[in-house]
Amino acid sequence: MKPDLRNNRDWIAGLLFIVLGALATVLARDYPFGTTMRMGPGYFPTMLGGILLVFGATILLRGIRSGERVKGEWGVRPLAWITLSIVLFGFLLDRVGMVPATVVTLFAAAAAGREFRLKEVLLLAIVMTAFSVAVFSYGLKLPYPLVGSYY
Amino acid sequence: MELLSNLALGFGVAFSLENLAYCFAGVALGTLIGVLPGVGPLVTIAMLFPITFHLPAVPAIIMLAGIFYGAQYGGSTTSILVNLPGETASAVTCIDGYQMARQGRAGPALATAALASFFAGCVGTLLIALAGPTLGEWALKFGSAEYTSLMLMALVASAVMTQGDAVKGLAMVVLGLLIGVVGVDVNSGMARYSFGIPELVDGVGFTVVAVGLFAVAEIVANLESREPREVYTGKLTGLMPTARDLRDAAWPTVRGTALGACFGVLPGTGPALSSFATYMLEKKIARDPSRFGRGAIEGVAAPEAANNAAAQTAFIPMLTLGIPATATMALMLAALTLQGIATGPQVMLDKPDLFWGLIASMWIGNCLLVILNLPLVGLWVKLLTVPYRWLFPSIILFCCIGNYSVSNNPFDVYLCALIGVLGYVLVKLECEPAPLLLGYVLGPLLEENLRRALLIARGDPTVFFTRPISAAFMIATVVILVVMVAPAARGMRRGT
Amino acid sequence: MQVSFVARLLALMLLFGAACTAFAQTSYPAKPIRFLVGFPPGGTNDIVARAVAPRFSEYLGQSVVIENRGGANASIATDLVAHAAPDGYTILLVAPGHATNPALLKLNFDSVNDFAFITLLAESQNLLVVHPSLPAHSVKALIALSKRRPGDINYGSSGTGTTVHLSAELFQYMTGVKWVHIPYKGGGPGLIALMAGEVSLYFGNVPTVIRQARAGKVRAVATTGLKRTPAAPDIPTVAESGVPGYEVTTAYGMAAPAKTPRAILDRLHTDIVRALNAPDTRERLLGLGADPVGNSPEQYTAFMKNEIAKWAKVIKAAGIKGE
Repeated sequence: MKPDLRNNRDWIAGLLFIVLGALATVLARDYPFGTTMRMGPGYFPTMLGGILLVFGATILLRGIRSGERVKGEWGVRPLAWITLSIVLFGFLLDRVGMVPATVVTLFAAAAAGREFRLKEVLLLAIVMTAFSVAVFSYGLKLPYPLVGSYY
Repeated sequence: MELLSNLALGFGVAFSLENLAYCFAGVALGTLIGVLPGVGPLVTIAMLFPITFHLPAVPAIIMLAGIFYGAQYGGSTTSILVNLPGETASAVTCIDGYQMARQGRAGPALATAALASFFAGCVGTLLIALAGPTLGEWALKFGSAEYTSLMLMALVASAVMTQGDAVKGLAMVVLGLLIGVVGVDVNSGMARYSFGIPELVDGVGFTVVAVGLFAVAEIVANLESREPREVYTGKLTGLMPTARDLRDAAWPTVRGTALGACFGVLPGTGPALSSFATYMLEKKIARDPSRFGRGAIEGVAAPEAANNAAAQTAFIPMLTLGIPATATMALMLAALTLQGIATGPQVMLDKPDLFWGLIASMWIGNCLLVILNLPLVGLWVKLLTVPYRWLFPSIILFCCIGNYSVSNNPFDVYLCALIGVLGYVLVKLECEPAPLLLGYVLGPLLEENLRRALLIARGDPTVFFTRPISAAFMIATVVILVVMVAPAARGMRRGT
Repeated sequence: MQVSFVARLLALMLLFGAACTAFAQTSYPAKPIRFLVGFPPGGTNDIVARAVAPRFSEYLGQSVVIENRGGANASIATDLVAHAAPDGYTILLVAPGHATNPALLKLNFDSVNDFAFITLLAESQNLLVVHPSLPAHSVKALIALSKRRPGDINYGSSGTGTTVHLSAELFQYMTGVKWVHIPYKGGGPGLIALMAGEVSLYFGNVPTVIRQARAGKVRAVATTGLKRTPAAPDIPTVAESGVPGYEVTTAYGMAAPAKTPRAILDRLHTDIVRALNAPDTRERLLGLGADPVGNSPEQYTAFMKNEIAKWAKVIKAAGIKGE
């Protein structure tokens, strides 16, 4: 019986852990290892990377045997929009100020949702921006430029 | 009795109209701060610093203290409502609290959290009054060896935390340990896994990990399917906990308080470790452990009691030893110093009105928090009825602002996005985030103390067994291991 | 006729423009000034900045806003100021680590030439304290004891590369004794370790440590400055107790990007020195254990150059590696 690996939950999980564990161990090679009684900075990360790799392999093998699928569908679209909205905020805040950044982030995040009603999102953006400015800039006196940048 | 006269003095001080007002202001502000991710008591106290210059010492410290433990309270609100831990310690509350909210039981969850915190706060305050200096001395007995065995015990017990798959849970703990490694290694001064990026030299911030892993992943997961699906599905059954709820929550609250009070005194660990520890304990001794992770009220009451008790006892090292346990405490210590108050072993004698006034106001603050928060439960629950498509962009916005505000650096925001992606993938693969957070918090402490203990002992590993407290934790670790492995071993033998 | 009209218009515009720029310069500061602090709120750096900011704002006539950009021992904030526009609206709280970072970290800026040093705000010292069980009551006795037990005595620090750590390294460098460094994360844990007896020595900063010493929990031996500190005039310095020339000063200063115009730098200097002389600012700084200074830019620049060179030597000799 050919093991069905498509969307196989534990196979993917195992693979992820193997990759991360291997990465951790390889990167830790640059740090002095030391001995067990006098551990160097590289000891702990190398051990952990190795353990993660072993766990990953265990999970991967189990996945091949059980063939259990990932439940539901992968939300690639919402993930992309949400990630974009967060990244945009970080990018814009210093450059164009808090108000534009907030509005853009809200729009981008709302785009991740199932329904996008322009009027609603606009209203939400206005209300939330006003609220944020009130709380963060005036209430907490966080020194972020409202419009325009530091530079 | 001396204690009574001291308390009388304290209440006299705390009940003045001025001090009551400042207590209320601090507590209210603290709750608001706790609700917002990233913006913690530290930032707030820093912002309010100039105000403390103009206030006399007693009201200033009362207000600052109010902000501090008020924030612990607020942090649990978002944990329950939207799976977003406001503080490290509130992360555990997410596990069962959020599930309760999804089942329409947000009201009872919030109310239980408030009541458990109140109980813990009262006990904590009493402990400071009665045994402050003694507890302070107890903290001094904890050396690197003791911390190491304690962390080891906690990590081994963390296998108990996982709901489903034990191996995946442990893998998440290890992943968390690795994320905790990022940054400068205390023992050598070397920056690890920093890829030459200066922002990573100080490690990955807690807010970044918690927000990305818990909140962002959860939001994306809720949006993934094409058909509309409301997140908070259960019918709102009621705002207050039922008698049954209160009965179930009673003993966990007491146990949580005990653990929190003990751990809160230990610098650096305090509230976070306490809440994780009580959760694991409750799960282990519960009659039906499978309820945990699905909305068990014990999973809310115990951690909340623990972290509030720890938040109170965290003042002890500062007041009695003059040593701040965390950055927030350092700031408060600075506020006191700038007022000309030298804390330390003499503060109880030199400035009794400050010491006892503070203690009395902590108790009053706890009362105020309950009075403030219980009516608010209705408001919060109403908030959940807002259509999700309005709610989640707002949550994302607050997460962004919160992340940015930690170091005023966009890098933290980008990193959070990355961790959000990772978090979503992990959630889809049915790997739970809570064990990762535990590993992230404990890992660095374990490694730092282990290497330091060995350094001090010049490489002699028996040090963990010759020191009494450390030996006790090591024995407990072995016991836990045996208890965990034994049923499996027995099962195997019977199977052959 | 048209040409002459255009020419007149152009001349008028030029004149107006020039007047505007002159006007703009004299109206510095026209907007709030960012005061970058390289540590999160709560640390001594941050509190020093907050102690001077109120009066500084008042004399400047514009609010001075503290901006915390923690990370990499203040090098993130320092980097930001090194590359900021030299218009006088971005200044840096120069942290003690400024002198040691060049030897420990990879930096994207030149610690001396990318900055216009304005003044030394305040300086503080460390205090050498020992656990009561250590049989040494003076620096000379400590040196003798340490020479009898090389590599045996543990000293704590608040982290590799901090002044707490480097004070001890300088001591070992100048006296030839050998101790074992046990690093902790921050000042609190380090001090607690000393009180618990886990380490025997600690060069802590004066305000925190003096309390424990007065309470008898630890024993004060000597201070690290050139002169005795006003906070504890009864305690001798290391230099006068047998290690002449020993000096570790924790310095907090102010700097702006290198190309900031002279006029603006002078204005900043005048106002900050005025702020430092204000009684409430002095009181706050002294409460922190920091002595207000307020010297000239030339003196401060010379001091920084000296410090950077000195610590580069010590760090190299001690074999401390950063990134």
